[in-house]
Amino acid sequence: MPWEYSDIPADFVLGNTTCALFLSLKYHRLHPEYIYSRIRALAGKYNLRILLTMVDIQNHEESLKELSKTSLINNVTIILCWSAQEAGRYLELYKSYEHAAPTSIRAHQSTSYSDKLVEFITVPRSINKTDAVGLVSNFGSVRTAINAKPEEVALVAGWGEKKVQRWCQTVREPFRVKK
Amino acid sequence: MAEEPPVKLSLPLEFQQDIFSSAREEDQLVLIARGLGLVRIVTNLLHSYDAAGNNLILLVGADDRENGWIGEALAEHAAISMSPKARGLSLVNTDLMSVGTREKMYARGGIFSITSRILIVDFLSSLLDPAMVTGMVVLHAERKNKAGFLKAFSDSPEPFTMGFSPLATMMRNLFLRTPSLYPRFHVAVAKSLEGRRKAEVIELEVPMTEGELKKANSGLEMDDWNLDSALHKNFDTIVRRQLDPVWHRTSFRTKQIVRDLTLLRSILHSVLTYDAVNFNKYLDTVLAASSPPPGSTRQTQSPWLFLDAAHVIFDTAKRRVYTAKINDNDAIGANGAVPESLRPVLEEQPKWALLAEILEEIERDVYFNPELQDNSNGTILIMCGDQGTCHQIREYLQTMHVIPEENKEAVDGDDDPTSKPSAAYMMRRRLRNYLAWKRDFAKVSASLFAENQKSINGTSDKGSQNSRGKGPPNKRRRMRGGGAAASSTTRTANGSIRMAGDRDSHIASLLADLAPTEAEAQQKNEIAADPLDEAEENFFELYEMNELVVVHPYDGDMDEHVLEEVKPRYVIMYEPDAAFIRRVEVYRSSHGDRNVRVYFMYYGNSVEEQRYLSGVRREKDAFTKLIRERGNMAVTLTHDTSGLDPQEAFLRTVNTRIAGGGRLAATAEPPRVVVDVREFRSSLPSLLHGRNMVVVPCMLTVGDYVLTPNICIERKSVRDLISSFSNGRLYNQAETMLLHYKNPMLLIEFDAQKSFTLEPFADLSATVGAASLHASDVQSKLVLLTLAFPRLRIIWSSSAYQTAEIFEELKKQQDEPDPIKAVQIGLEQGDEAGENRPFSQVPQDMLRAVPGVGGKVLGRLTLEMGSVADVANAEEEVLARMVGKEAARQIWRFFNRSVFDD
Repeated sequence: MPWEYSDIPADFVLGNTTCALFLSLKYHRLHPEYIYSRIRALAGKYNLRILLTMVDIQNHEESLKELSKTSLINNVTIILCWSAQEAGRYLELYKSYEHAAPTSIRAHQSTSYSDKLVEFITVPRSINKTDAVGLVSNFGSVRTAINAKPEEVALVAGWGEKKVQRWCQTVREPFRVKK
Repeated sequence: MAEEPPVKLSLPLEFQQDIFSSAREEDQLVLIARGLGLVRIVTNLLHSYDAAGNNLILLVGADDRENGWIGEALAEHAAISMSPKARGLSLVNTDLMSVGTREKMYARGGIFSITSRILIVDFLSSLLDPAMVTGMVVLHAERKNKAGFLKAFSDSPEPFTMGFSPLATMMRNLFLRTPSLYPRFHVAVAKSLEGRRKAEVIELEVPMTEGELKKANSGLEMDDWNLDSALHKNFDTIVRRQLDPVWHRTSFRTKQIVRDLTLLRSILHSVLTYDAVNFNKYLDTVLAASSPPPGSTRQTQSPWLFLDAAHVIFDTAKRRVYTAKINDNDAIGANGAVPESLRPVLEEQPKWALLAEILEEIERDVYFNPELQDNSNGTILIMCGDQGTCHQIREYLQTMHVIPEENKEAVDGDDDPTSKPSAAYMMRRRLRNYLAWKRDFAKVSASLFAENQKSINGTSDKGSQNSRGKGPPNKRRRMRGGGAAASSTTRTANGSIRMAGDRDSHIASLLADLAPTEAEAQQKNEIAADPLDEAEENFFELYEMNELVVVHPYDGDMDEHVLEEVKPRYVIMYEPDAAFIRRVEVYRSSHGDRNVRVYFMYYGNSVEEQRYLSGVRREKDAFTKLIRERGNMAVTLTHDTSGLDPQEAFLRTVNTRIAGGGRLAATAEPPRVVVDVREFRSSLPSLLHGRNMVVVPCMLTVGDYVLTPNICIERKSVRDLISSFSNGRLYNQAETMLLHYKNPMLLIEFDAQKSFTLEPFADLSATVGAASLHASDVQSKLVLLTLAFPRLRIIWSSSAYQTAEIFEELKKQQDEPDPIKAVQIGLEQGDEAGENRPFSQVPQDMLRAVPGVGGKVLGRLTLEMGSVADVANAEEEVLARMVGKEAARQIWRFFNRSVFDD
């Protein structure tokens, strides 16, 4: 990752609108005013202001509580890390994703039919991939599997009573809970 | 009995009466060994209160079945003791009941079975006045903790022995002073059970088929865990629990091993219960599901599949079904010659034969002593592990005298000495089904899991004649080279085992061999007629009780019911179950006039035997430990709760986790927090309440907590965080929060017991440029999230307790939120704001997985359609009217596409 020294108010500038301050909680406990002066120095610049906080003390609760409040008032976003490497990694990620579209966290991209199928069937708890394969291979299609009676589903190898019950209940459970 | 309650009770045994009277006298936690009739005691206790009238009693933690039973029993008791005040049990479950109805019900009083979530909501919204509550009864205290007069019951002692002085903790949580322990070896229990004639128990050891045990064990030894502990029923859960504190940090590999462990255990279980054919079928499914998509670069394959032992398992399983002779000179090309290579073996489960023998013996017994001197019916009750086994036994019993080639009129009680009972008929039928299934399955797995592979190789060269049931083309080529290994498994290039696609010709020959004989064909209809309802209620009026064979699975407390209703003369335990033995003991001692003979079957030297023995041992150990702890406990419990506001103390105990000493900061106007009702499953709302904030339960569309008119918070545990990153829900939630609130916040809440860190980066030393490869870990997603929403703040909290403090801090000098406004935010124009429309989560998640379903479509569907099943059965045109042509086409295709054709 290329970097350079420069006279900037933030510790790191990660893009046109993004900057980061680094804070170690150990240091923060000794000099609690330090971070506020730094945030003040940012003075409304930058759209996204990261406060990269390294948790290097055991009783972090008080400090974190205080910082949470600060983040709300001063428009900084707190990111916690637990080691210097992790901090470095975050910086690296911010830089490399600077122009990335948030596709990987958006609703699912289309995948192959089999993936979708397995995903669909394994939504109710405790049903795993093996069960999903067993289910469709016995019933032929998702629709028949949904319409199958509990006794029929129970005959599929690997489907115990709990799974059968969960499956059959979930597919018939009304979306809306009626009053 | 020490005191005579004014009601009639039905507790025949002395120790049950003891428990009852001591529980009635003072609040306590009753721990009782499994199978000693817990529910019965609870029911009687409830009834004694019910009959007194003027009560509001809450029953917490009962599941549906227990509710049903207790309700029924209470009604029965009320009728017997003719107490006019008894009201029976009312259910308060889910949000099915409106607030008004609930209020009226509470005002009326009686006994309520309620879930803890609704309980808290109602308490907080003052729907239910704690002062009115006469008391609570907690079932399954091993899972939940509650408090008023309070009786807690549990019949599984083991969970109490985990962790540090767990009993004391639990007791403190429950504000209970007296634990009563009733292990099986308790004097009173032993006296009541053994004083009279014991039920005859005949243990039968079944020698295992050679190879079965070896096979099962080798499957487990490959893991580092020692075999002995693996036998225990909950081994994988234990491992999981040990790993749980660091679960979100463990590597993919570790997670996979643990998952595999679970899988292996279920395989182990199926060796014992499934018949040979079904077992093989199950293995096939496992294999198909765990083989990686071809062409994937990451090594996602489960490690155990690479080991030799796995090979042995698959091989043996197959050999139990059919074998191949090595006259494999005809390759696939020569279709005409039907080779004689596959021959069915169809090993029977050894227990079957034994079962038949026992039945014969019973028959003789009945024949020689035809006069029943007692009350019990001549019924033979066969108990087995689960519904599946049940079905298997039933089928076996029906068909065991059917001998394919010979006489078909053989029925139960046939005294023709030559016809030995055998499962040949059943197994042949199963094999036929299996082969038919296998043919389809090859296609399924080909179309589902080899899509990429196929697209690479091109699918044009489909064989003309025998295209059915063949794997993708390249698989076939490999088979040709593989030659002799027809019926065993082969290893593919990447070293894993794959299903050897059995050649059609072989299957055809096997099928021809198995073609139903005339006798079988005739039998078929009969069997198809009564697959399930044989053991159901309706047979009581149809059959003579004396000649019945009832097959029933173990079913926890319901077994007592079964025993009472069936009144069996003979009980055959197909699988060992300690609790059931006790139940039989209780049953036997409660009815001095009934004779019971128990046959007890298990595989000698097997996992099954060891599992049973270790289960018994563990329960005993647990009790010993608990008794010791009770001895040391006296001092720890003397602390009193009088210093706390009673209501708070009450709520605190309802919570699953006790916070540290709560400071009480009295303010003039208590701060207010609007909380989504779905959040009441977590402990945070109660903690907020504990910090003197007014918690307003509402149905929120946007966010989970609203602290001020500007601050809206979405709470995520680490596990939630990961899952909602991957399904994109968090992105949408953040989007809507930003739309409606000035200060949206994401709360990442860690578990107090777990480590306060995220999963470490996969490998920091990896090349710097490879960042895009790791785009899947949580941190990078967090980075993306903050980049996408610079205004979204993140709160990191190490525990729910810490969260409560942070909330308090954030609310200082801020306006209070308006609940009505908070509810309305995010609702569409069309929706009436007043109409609460809670949606059930899981079905929605399922729909979201369907291709073509996005946020909008999902909304439409959940509003217009009833359930997932309705959507699945809807016609394409109907869907199209709702969600548009394109989406409708995708949805319809998803549900209706047949996996058999590719």
